[in-house]
Amino acid sequence: MSATLERAVISPPRRRGPRIGRRVHPYLLMAPALLLVAAVSFLPLGQAITQSLHRSNFLDLGEFVGLLNYQRFLFSEAGVARAWNSLVFVIGSLFVAMPLGFGLALLLNLPLRARWLLRTVLILPWLVSNTVAALLWAWLLSAHFGPIAPVFAMFGVVMPNPLTSETLAMPALILCNAWGAYPLIMVFVLAALQTIPTELQEAARIDGASSWQRFRYIVFPLVRNTTLVTLVLTTLHTFNGVSIVLIMTGGGPVGVTDVMALRVFEEGFKFYRMGLATAGAVVIFALNIVFTIVYMRVLRGDGHA
Amino acid sequence: MTRRRLPPLASCAAHGAAMLACAFALLPVLWGLSTSFKFAGEVHAWPPSWLPATPTLQNWKDAVLDPRFLRYVLNTLFVVGVSLIISITFALMAAWATVRFHFRGREVLLLVMWSTIMVPGIAVVVPLYGLAVDVGLYDTLWAPALVFSAWLVPTLVWLLRGFIAAVPAELEESAQIDGCTPLGAFVRVTVPLLWPGLVAAAILVFVMIWNDFLIGYSLTLSDENRLVQVGIYAFMTETGVEYGPLCAAAIASIIPIVVLYALLQRYFIQGLTGGAVKG
Repeated sequence: MSATLERAVISPPRRRGPRIGRRVHPYLLMAPALLLVAAVSFLPLGQAITQSLHRSNFLDLGEFVGLLNYQRFLFSEAGVARAWNSLVFVIGSLFVAMPLGFGLALLLNLPLRARWLLRTVLILPWLVSNTVAALLWAWLLSAHFGPIAPVFAMFGVVMPNPLTSETLAMPALILCNAWGAYPLIMVFVLAALQTIPTELQEAARIDGASSWQRFRYIVFPLVRNTTLVTLVLTTLHTFNGVSIVLIMTGGGPVGVTDVMALRVFEEGFKFYRMGLATAGAVVIFALNIVFTIVYMRVLRGDGHA
Repeated sequence: MTRRRLPPLASCAAHGAAMLACAFALLPVLWGLSTSFKFAGEVHAWPPSWLPATPTLQNWKDAVLDPRFLRYVLNTLFVVGVSLIISITFALMAAWATVRFHFRGREVLLLVMWSTIMVPGIAVVVPLYGLAVDVGLYDTLWAPALVFSAWLVPTLVWLLRGFIAAVPAELEESAQIDGCTPLGAFVRVTVPLLWPGLVAAAILVFVMIWNDFLIGYSLTLSDENRLVQVGIYAFMTETGVEYGPLCAAAIASIIPIVVLYALLQRYFIQGLTGGAVKG
């Protein structure tokens, strides 16, 4: 530092370049990022809204039809069923992934042997793409070639093929999705748990708090916000995800796993009904915002308590 | 951190639960791995067995050395490379500008940029397809590269801002006294100090693109422009699909990510949690 100062004092001021070149233009520096983001996020969002209000002729805008596409996507008989399927998929996944991720975080926070190994193994599903996860689960659950069916057979139960069974298809999707989703919850909650000073728990123990009380009144309040964040992330990830459903069931059998995101994908890239697809896309985007706001309300509302 | 020992019974239960969870985590992967070493006849044998009777490497040869698969891998690496250059350059510029300079509208512009993190891929993919067709980038690798860059920039700005703020501004100022331009000072002095952030950023870029299906599927069409996940999907939907090579390809596609994770765990978690929102 002193050398720098010395040089600054001793050496004569250097010739500086033209003033324009030396000035920093923060707007200019932000422009490429903003333009790119606008072109890939805002522009298509605007186009989706426009397209969704018109009849479509492949990529060309047809006549203006108002909210007809929305009505067909959301309020037709299939639309209501599909919204319900999405809800079941999301809530089911949360019910499996949240306790699993949270519980494993608590577990990994204990003094276990080979913790780093457990951690590495348990994070693995996070590294696997949804495409590959769906493929591997479909193969694992196969009633003809998978290793699960023989276990049932030992008890004399013939396992139906879950992916073509009306009752088991959705649970199979939920299982696969929760498998890929729990590590994120685990990692986030574990990170939060590790910021809790041990003294806090020790003090409570000395004061006679049971382990449940310590969890309820010390640990949980301190990881609550993190948990809610993972709840939002898992909800959105499940709700917006296409590939697991596309690969495992394709929406079948008889539409019991037909979820909104898959429908947008198929209307767009299979049937090329762009009006319907973009209406669905706008609905999904709106619901993303609604989910986030609702969760944030909950998060902020009780945050002070 | 002081670590108490657990009472024996609790310890047994905890270890037992951990083993069960590991089994759950590994089950599908191990089954795929097992299948990838079986001959076609054994793949369809009943009852299926966990250990291949006569292990073979044929599936791995067929899948991984398939010129098509190699092509998909190279395509994906190309898209990763282009996206890395674009997204990190743009993000560094924006992050630096917003950390070091106060200017009117700074917060608003950042918020506008960050708000796009909330736009899910499925909500824009159909118009993006139309847009790619319009500008003539449909079915080229540039289309996915640009889309990924745009999706990554806001997260990288957020990630890199933290790292830039941790470098004292005085370092850049003294370089300016020595005759650097402000931007030159940033590039020469600060950027080399950012490498942990850049590693985390690069991992995020790689994982997002490597594991993507939606964009690769919708913005490219021909076989020669396929990305890895779309390629695996194509293998799967082909008629007369063979599960042996398919499982080998699927497992092979996990390996680079697992290796990266093993080598760069800390940065990996940092990058992945940073990018957790965009899915």
